Amino acid sequence: MHLSARVLLGACGALALLVSVTIPAAELSRPTPEVLEQIRLRLENGMPHPPSAQALAELGSSGDFASQLRAIDPYAEWFPAGRSDPVGERSGWWSGIGADVSFEADGVRLLPYQGGPAAAAGIPDRARLVAIDGQALRSLSPDALAEQLRGKAGSMVRLTLVDENGNSETISVRRQWVRPLDVELIGTNGRQVIRLREFLGGLSRSALLATFSFLRDNPAAKADQQLVIDLRYNPGGDLFEAFDLAGLFVPAGTVLGSLVTRAGQPREVLAPAGEKIEETPILLVGPNTASAAEIFAGTLQQLGQARLIGQPTFGKCSSQTSIGLSDGSVLRYTNLEVLLPDLATCTGIGLDPDFVLDGDSNDDLNALIEAVRTPTGFSIEQDQPGEY
Amino acid sequence: MIVVLIFGLTACATTSTDPREGGLAGGMSGLSSGAYEERVREREDRLAELRATQATLEAESRELEDARSERQQLVDEERAELEQLNADLDELHARIDGLTAQLGEADVRVAEIRQRLTRLQHEMQNQQSALDALEGTGLGDTDEDLRRRQLVQQRDALRREFELLMELSLELAR
Repeated sequence: MHLSARVLLGACGALALLVSVTIPAAELSRPTPEVLEQIRLRLENGMPHPPSAQALAELGSSGDFASQLRAIDPYAEWFPAGRSDPVGERSGWWSGIGADVSFEADGVRLLPYQGGPAAAAGIPDRARLVAIDGQALRSLSPDALAEQLRGKAGSMVRLTLVDENGNSETISVRRQWVRPLDVELIGTNGRQVIRLREFLGGLSRSALLATFSFLRDNPAAKADQQLVIDLRYNPGGDLFEAFDLAGLFVPAGTVLGSLVTRAGQPREVLAPAGEKIEETPILLVGPNTASAAEIFAGTLQQLGQARLIGQPTFGKCSSQTSIGLSDGSVLRYTNLEVLLPDLATCTGIGLDPDFVLDGDSNDDLNALIEAVRTPTGFSIEQDQPGEY
Repeated sequence: MIVVLIFGLTACATTSTDPREGGLAGGMSGLSSGAYEERVREREDRLAELRATQATLEAESRELEDARSERQQLVDEERAELEQLNADLDELHARIDGLTAQLGEADVRVAEIRQRLTRLQHEMQNQQSALDALEGTGLGDTDEDLRRRQLVQQRDALRREFELLMELSLELAR
């Protein structure tokens, strides 16, 4: 089944499950009538659940094309010629401060990479950024903000951060060449947590195995500590990589889920043989845990091979693929619905954690770890479902 | 009386027993009191401590240098592995071209292998750039070790993928 999954991956091109940010510029463009027809055909024949004939007929009639497309498929996007689909692209390394930027309701948060310049400068996880080089973020677009954080290696940038008590601090960071680890180890209060930022096709499984072995070889890590994997800010990635990772924790041949396409019955995905991790992890999840990350977490939860702690997840158990059209433009659309082992989808529902925390606690890794540690908290060996 | 007074003053001003620091009278007093020998012993002790510290630092420096050389050696080995895999991929590419000529451009099996080969080559480029990053940045020992382990495991996975594609291409050629 592992091979079948890979074959399907090859056949479908880059199967990416990232929840993407819509780029407004695309909304200004419209496809030509010929390309529009190609888009209609693809949606009609390629989506797991066929759209209504009326919606397809109205697509491109007038008004905002991008909105009409999203009304048919909320994850569909059309990229005019010259603009490639950013999902699934992965640059090797770049120069910058070495952090992900999370745009949230209460502001912009930084998630520094392990060993990167921002982390080395002492910027903590989820630091709230309010100004760059003295310029307030309010006056910056997301693109401009990203551009200012990146920049020539060796150059300095001053970041003003505000803590939970409203105290501000400005930290200077020297931009460097960065390439985040595919799987990171976050240490907090003597506890090591594995952070999976994204599921990278062909890379994350190997990286997780290497990290797990590193963790267990490390004398500083206590052997009796449960494996904790942080998926709170994981927006997804490669579907089959997520299945491959889930397959590490269950015997070969276990049904991990099913794929619903337009053609035929749902097709089961089975756990491949090979190296296994003989542990039952705790998975940290939240509203930003989406798509492939939800499928990984939901699969292990339903198979009783992991317990989830945190907040309900985003609710997207579908997969998108990209195809090239005759004028060089690209259409990304939903081509698979993924069912978890109980044959239900998480789309529109999300996953319910076994142990629910409030929003503030879920953003605080130390609080999460404390919840794992406390006797009345979370212990997957002793507690039973429904006792929390 | 005057001598005692000066000595007392000196004693109050400094804790040193170096005869030169107490002026002539104080120095004389120091010599006569045995403080000079004490100072010499103290200096000898301090010198011995410095030598021990220096030896420790040199040992640590050698260890660091050894560790750096070892890491560099591991990186060099990894680079050699990747170069070999790259060469093997070129060979596979040529084989796929041969299959295309033999079975035709439209053969879906060939197209599939070619697609997977393209992806494998893309992943190889990522591996190369990650290895460059490993050499070029000031990662701490822990991060560097973790990244190297991840790269080795990922390279092994790429090698397995390559071997699978090679098998598939051989089957097709039969």
